Amino acid sequence: MNVDFALFIPEFVMAGMALVVLTVDLFLPQDRKHWLPYIALVGILGTMGSVFTIAGKSEELYGGLFLVDNFAVFFKVFLLAVGAFMVLASAEYVKKNLTRPGEFYGILLFSILAMMTMTAAGELLTAYISLELFSFSLYILASYAIHRPKSVEAGLKYILVGAFSSAILLYGLSLIYGSLGTTTFSGIADALAGNDDIPVAFLAGLVLVVVGFGFKITAVPFHMWAPDVYEGAPTPVTAYLAVASKAVSFALLLRLFAMAFGPAMDEWRPIIAGLAAATIVLGNLVAMAQHNIKRMLAYSSIGQAGYLLMGIAALSPLASNGLLFHIVGYSAANFAAFACIIAYENLTGKEEISDYAGLSRRQPFMALVLSGALFSLAGLPVFAGFATKFYLFAAVGNEGLLWLVIVAVAGSLVSLYYYLMVIKQIYLGEPEEDEPLRLSVSTVGLLGALGAAVVIFGVYPGPLINLIEKATAVLPMPV
Amino acid sequence: MGMEWAWLLPAVCTGAFVVVAALGRWLPGRGSLLAIGAIGTAFVLFWFVMADVVGNGPGSFSRAWFDSGDLTVRLGMRVDKLAIVMLGLVSAVSLAVQVYSLRYMRGDPRFGWYFALHSLFAASMLALVLADNLLVFYITWELVGLGSYLLIGFWWERRSASEAAKKAFITTRIGDVALLIGILVLFKATGTFELSQIFAMAQAGEISQTTINLSTVLIFIGAAGKSAQFPFHVWLPDAMEGPTPVSALIHAATMVAAGVYLVARMAPLFVLAPGVLDLVAFIGLTTVFIGAALAMVQTDIKRILAYSTISQLGFMMLALGSLGFTAAIFHLLAHGFFKALLFLGAGSIIHAMHERQDIREMGGLRSRLPATWVAFVIAGLALAGIFPLSGFFSKDDVLFSVLDNRGVVWFAAGLIGSVLTALYVARLLYLVFLGEPRSQAAREAREAPLGMTLPVMALMAPAAGLGLLALAWGDYDGFGSFLVFLPFGSRPFEFHGAVFWPSLALAFSAFLMGLSMYRQTGGVAPALVRRRIPWLLTALDNKLYLDHVYQWTVDHVVLVGSRLVALFDRAVVNDAGVDATGRATRWSGLVLRYHETGLVSTYMLTIAVTAMVIVLIVITTG
Repeated sequence: MNVDFALFIPEFVMAGMALVVLTVDLFLPQDRKHWLPYIALVGILGTMGSVFTIAGKSEELYGGLFLVDNFAVFFKVFLLAVGAFMVLASAEYVKKNLTRPGEFYGILLFSILAMMTMTAAGELLTAYISLELFSFSLYILASYAIHRPKSVEAGLKYILVGAFSSAILLYGLSLIYGSLGTTTFSGIADALAGNDDIPVAFLAGLVLVVVGFGFKITAVPFHMWAPDVYEGAPTPVTAYLAVASKAVSFALLLRLFAMAFGPAMDEWRPIIAGLAAATIVLGNLVAMAQHNIKRMLAYSSIGQAGYLLMGIAALSPLASNGLLFHIVGYSAANFAAFACIIAYENLTGKEEISDYAGLSRRQPFMALVLSGALFSLAGLPVFAGFATKFYLFAAVGNEGLLWLVIVAVAGSLVSLYYYLMVIKQIYLGEPEEDEPLRLSVSTVGLLGALGAAVVIFGVYPGPLINLIEKATAVLPMPV
Repeated sequence: MGMEWAWLLPAVCTGAFVVVAALGRWLPGRGSLLAIGAIGTAFVLFWFVMADVVGNGPGSFSRAWFDSGDLTVRLGMRVDKLAIVMLGLVSAVSLAVQVYSLRYMRGDPRFGWYFALHSLFAASMLALVLADNLLVFYITWELVGLGSYLLIGFWWERRSASEAAKKAFITTRIGDVALLIGILVLFKATGTFELSQIFAMAQAGEISQTTINLSTVLIFIGAAGKSAQFPFHVWLPDAMEGPTPVSALIHAATMVAAGVYLVARMAPLFVLAPGVLDLVAFIGLTTVFIGAALAMVQTDIKRILAYSTISQLGFMMLALGSLGFTAAIFHLLAHGFFKALLFLGAGSIIHAMHERQDIREMGGLRSRLPATWVAFVIAGLALAGIFPLSGFFSKDDVLFSVLDNRGVVWFAAGLIGSVLTALYVARLLYLVFLGEPRSQAAREAREAPLGMTLPVMALMAPAAGLGLLALAWGDYDGFGSFLVFLPFGSRPFEFHGAVFWPSLALAFSAFLMGLSMYRQTGGVAPALVRRRIPWLLTALDNKLYLDHVYQWTVDHVVLVGSRLVALFDRAVVNDAGVDATGRATRWSGLVLRYHETGLVSTYMLTIAVTAMVIVLIVITTG
């Protein structure tokens, strides 16, 4: 088999840079460790540059194991951008709260590498191995604050439930292989289309796969680990879990369902739609009862996962566009919110919602960005959340899932309540101290960039939607 | 070239508004210079646009704004001669007023915000003038109202100012609702907001007479609200609570004229509804009398001018109702300049009198405020319609169209209106400038600084000489041929003996009579009037009781209705509907959160059980 290794350049670069960070760390004196995030950032940006060498290509490597197409390129660029923001957002936090920054950034880069291969996987086992590499990195990162019991608890719970789900997923994969005799996505689709009757073992396997992914994307009722882990993990890692982990899992899920399971759509649509509805309802309702802002955002991101699942349930060209669009909009807004929370934690060490009282008087810029991000998550106009939700919900409604759209709109309405509770604190609460909070220049830049993204995607989404349409065009859609 | 740039006029002012409102604090002069630069640019651009329109005829530009089903709403502008006249008036007066304000408002704590609002108002007013479809027109119409509201209540710490702002907004809103309904009636009948299409359909007889009558009445009600016509005029005198330059710009020259402009713009529709034109003329004439009569008894200098504005707007409506569209617009233009001049002069007087506005405390200011005196004489005589000042020509034109299309009786009534005008102008001039000073402040009054007198002097030229525009000279055939309303042809200005002599003689003699009369009585109504018709004076002092009637209606009809609705809202909508739903939702959240036990074994059990249940369901059903 003749393999064009040039198509792996981005993965090579990323793996190399991860090793470079780990090695450099060995030789850096303690007072120079703060260089590490910038080395990692260079690695991420370099990888992003190298992705453009494969842009526009459409290739299958190793008989469909590894795919190079617009969909993969879109997500690679997007996830690398998320990674870059992640590094910027963590720099200060890591310096202040964590030991061993070298491994932190090294493992972070490995997790990005895993995400890159996840978006390119065209076969069940490749997908599974990438997913495991990704999960392992996250297990370590979640428990990185080893001196804090909550973080250790988070890591332990995460790895236990994760291993359990992983086993279920693997069992599901084996059932699919057993019933259809193939593991490539296109092979599965062909086998399903060729069969008049869909084998029962395949259906059981499909359900188990859904359960396994349900854990990753925090679909109800496989979500229960999420609030504990989100609250306990170091805050930048929480942001990473809420944004990157969800985005990449949905990328893989969308590719899997579109390319492999499409012919069996009638069988799985009710399952996914039901999970989506349960996720929206429970995530949003319970978010109202939270006092810790990280935990509140954990539940809110469970609700958001419900909206994204709607895109899988509908599975049409429009719905896929809507799914990608919402992933981008949600990521920008959620990351903006988390960047504020990280910065606030760095300055005050506090993370209760009531601690945000009077933030507008102490740090008006951060108050503005945080409020904008929360409004976007709630789906109010001008902000990205409105445009993305509107697009997604309209596409899902077009596919005859109107009841699901009604549930989602009701969920959004509820979500406005708990987002507004935070904004109320920010603007109307009485601060305990009056002293202004000073942000570092890099934080101001980070918040400004994310805040601007939240507005720009909401006001002028045209160019982004063009890119998304190119990305989803490679996915075969059930008719 | 130039016409395509017309959109820049409102655009630069919008830009100035945004920048001054957001960053004014950090700009030189707190943004005032930027605002003035913007309106100055607009004024310069106006000349290019005008040159283009005069040379190449009217043009319109539009692009699709949004689609909704079959309806495409276009965002566009129409630059024709009517728009040009208004553009010139608005940009020139705005410029003069803003320059004047630079000195007048100095030291105000919200100096920058004042100029931001002026930019907002100028942008809205310029956009309104250019609007080529009713939707855009309505939006800018409301924006103009917003600007007026914010500027009347500019000193909102003063209760009377915020009350006046509310009164102005609510009163004009009543008219606006009618206007909106009128626009929607037209839209229902034609399926478009585009003026040109509506007019074409109306002329082709595709719109029923009932629709035309109904929509024009509703549009006229909107116009009457904005242009302070009886019975909506009550807000304008109160609007004098705003800074005096604001009164000059918005409540004399531009916004209040928007109603007149609206009717003129809709002329092709109004001529198809003769009955409605009768109404317009009748309301106009009524307003002429009420405004003039009330101006006669006021003692606050700004309120006198406000009632005079009401009366003059009545003249414009009277002209519109008498098919004198060109005459109405010409009077609008002339009035815009001389009334703005009067208001700016009044501003200088109030400034010199240390914020005293009562004319009974003034007197003898002629020698102390010479520049203002000259301005007042020019503008006052123009207002009284004395040859050869601008007001003479425009009023003559108005009266001629009344005589021509309405007959002698209406004409005579119009003449009486102009006699009343001359009388209150005489009273105003006498009490303020002649005689002896009647207070310490008047004795110590000083002429306003140059920053204020310069714009005043600049406005003197159009106030005095605008009449020239009526006449033909060179290639120019006079205003009657410049601004032509279909289906009427051009009508050059002529001196009609039947109009010229009676109107000039009456106005002039009334003015002289007024001067000598008020010299004898010291400014109050003559004893004869006081003895014979005391009830009339009492009624006038109480502003014809209209405010009382409105207040009673609000208290006993509107508020009672509101309370009933509020009760329903409280008990049914709020308590049973909204609150109960909200409480139930919150409660479910509080209960549901207990599913989160913190135990990993529970989490795994849930996953396993759910997985098995779904598999079972799928296998049994599938």
